[in-house]
Amino acid sequence: MAKRETVARRSDVEVAGDAPLYEQVRDRLSQMVLSRDLGDSTPLPTEPNLMAIFCVSRGTLRRAIEELVRDGLLIAEQGRGTFVVQEERVRRVVWQRLSEIARPDSRFDLDLSHFVPDFAGSVAAQQRIMKQPQWNKAEVVFCAPDNSLELLRLAALTAGKKILVPTYGLRRGFIFIDGMKIQKSDHALAATLDGMERFGKRLGPGDLRQAGTIDLVITGATAVTTNGLHIGGGQRYLALEWMMMKQLGVLAAGVKVFAVVHDCQVVNEMVEAEPDCLLDLICTNTQEIDVTQPRGSVQAKFRRMK
Amino acid sequence: MSSALSTDQYRERIWAELAKVARPDSRFHWDFSSFICDFQGSDQCADRILEMDALNKRHNRQIFITPDNCLEDLRYKLIQRGIPFVMTTYGIVRGFYRLDPSTVPTSDHRYASTLDGFDRYAVPMSLADLQKGEKFSLLVTGGSAVSSNGVRFGKGHGYFDFEWAVLSELNLTDDLSVVADVVHDCQFVNEVMPAERHDVVVDWVVTPTQAIHIPQNSRQRGRVFWDMVPGTEFENLSIVSELRKILKLGPL
Repeated sequence: MAKRETVARRSDVEVAGDAPLYEQVRDRLSQMVLSRDLGDSTPLPTEPNLMAIFCVSRGTLRRAIEELVRDGLLIAEQGRGTFVVQEERVRRVVWQRLSEIARPDSRFDLDLSHFVPDFAGSVAAQQRIMKQPQWNKAEVVFCAPDNSLELLRLAALTAGKKILVPTYGLRRGFIFIDGMKIQKSDHALAATLDGMERFGKRLGPGDLRQAGTIDLVITGATAVTTNGLHIGGGQRYLALEWMMMKQLGVLAAGVKVFAVVHDCQVVNEMVEAEPDCLLDLICTNTQEIDVTQPRGSVQAKFRRMK
Repeated sequence: MSSALSTDQYRERIWAELAKVARPDSRFHWDFSSFICDFQGSDQCADRILEMDALNKRHNRQIFITPDNCLEDLRYKLIQRGIPFVMTTYGIVRGFYRLDPSTVPTSDHRYASTLDGFDRYAVPMSLADLQKGEKFSLLVTGGSAVSSNGVRFGKGHGYFDFEWAVLSELNLTDDLSVVADVVHDCQFVNEVMPAERHDVVVDWVVTPTQAIHIPQNSRQRGRVFWDMVPGTEFENLSIVSELRKILKLGPL
């Protein structure tokens, strides 16, 4: 009991008095990681140090750390120590911020680990994309199945463009819809995930060439960094889709990648993470951020190939 | 149990048949355990529902529909006819919503009938809001399987049982409330099955080819069996705490 009180007093968080001790340590540790009080790029303090910080036994500490490793927030490297998975940290920080402004999904509600939400201010962010010359010129647009892009899918169809949209989780391939071939009254429905399959043609990965050349790639994100990294929901769908399109040669030379996010999803730091694909432009509810990498830079090429 | 097959065996058999006529969900694809699917012929089910007295002679009473995919065409046709209805969000997570078709432009009728589009036009209804309205005349649900005596079974039917129970606790159902289950013919099992105390037996089974009336003269008044709530997906729903407040029960 004394130990439990110690943990509660040392932490600034409300902890349920009857939660097991290791859970209290886990939650406190997780909060310290998210607020970057701990382990930014160096390993976490040693076990004896952490045991002293939390006033707990080795067994309790280990159990707390094991849970965070299993959750993907920490990674234990043999002989080097325990590190923070920066990508996951950013994801969790942004999820906390997003929960204030996210619009629930029709199935997943506000369980943000399952989908990229629409948000208050997404109209302004999407309109910024529509002002870009690449948008005007594009005939075929790849558009992620994110709720924050519904207006863009609608605008593309209304403008007579063709859109290529992966089915949710890429489970049943891509849907390809030609705005010129469907009735105007169907555009709104065709822009939703529930409606798009009724109007489009399903393309498996092998049929992707039927979509023609993709002139522009538009995506939502869980988070983006000011150095142009796209951080998705954790399943790396965009990376997979990008790789497929690249390998099949359906991407136009020098195709641009635009992201639509809320200001709170922009992380102003250099995150060491495996990028899904590199961004060129970030449009938020209040601003445009040009994050184009120097043309031909080795790093950019390497990342795009990944 | 007198059934020739267990309910699990029925479910397996039905899902195999259903897969031939089902339409995948935009999020859950073919995972029938996560949603009630739409199927070929659901538009004919909607037409049969539209002929029901419980709809056409409802005398200002309310209509309730579950957020099942097989009811999308019914929602569309109700919107076209200007008939408002109450629906829950998926998993009842955000409780009850009401859609007033007069707020939906004609071009968006189809859009508003999907789960994605419904959210843009429907407004949330607290239980207190619902109580200000009339009782329910017609409640329509989809289902994974239903027996000849109107017992629904298979994964996912518990949500409607719970919705019925909540509406009943609010005194919004009575003997005139009609419950219809929209299913494909392959989901109808021509066999009598025992009902558990919380099962809502249905008055009508509506399929693409027929509407089967199952007179339920002795249906008990619906109620929430509170002992069954802890540990379920219902436990933390906001409507549960609101209902307990209205009923002057303490926290669960």
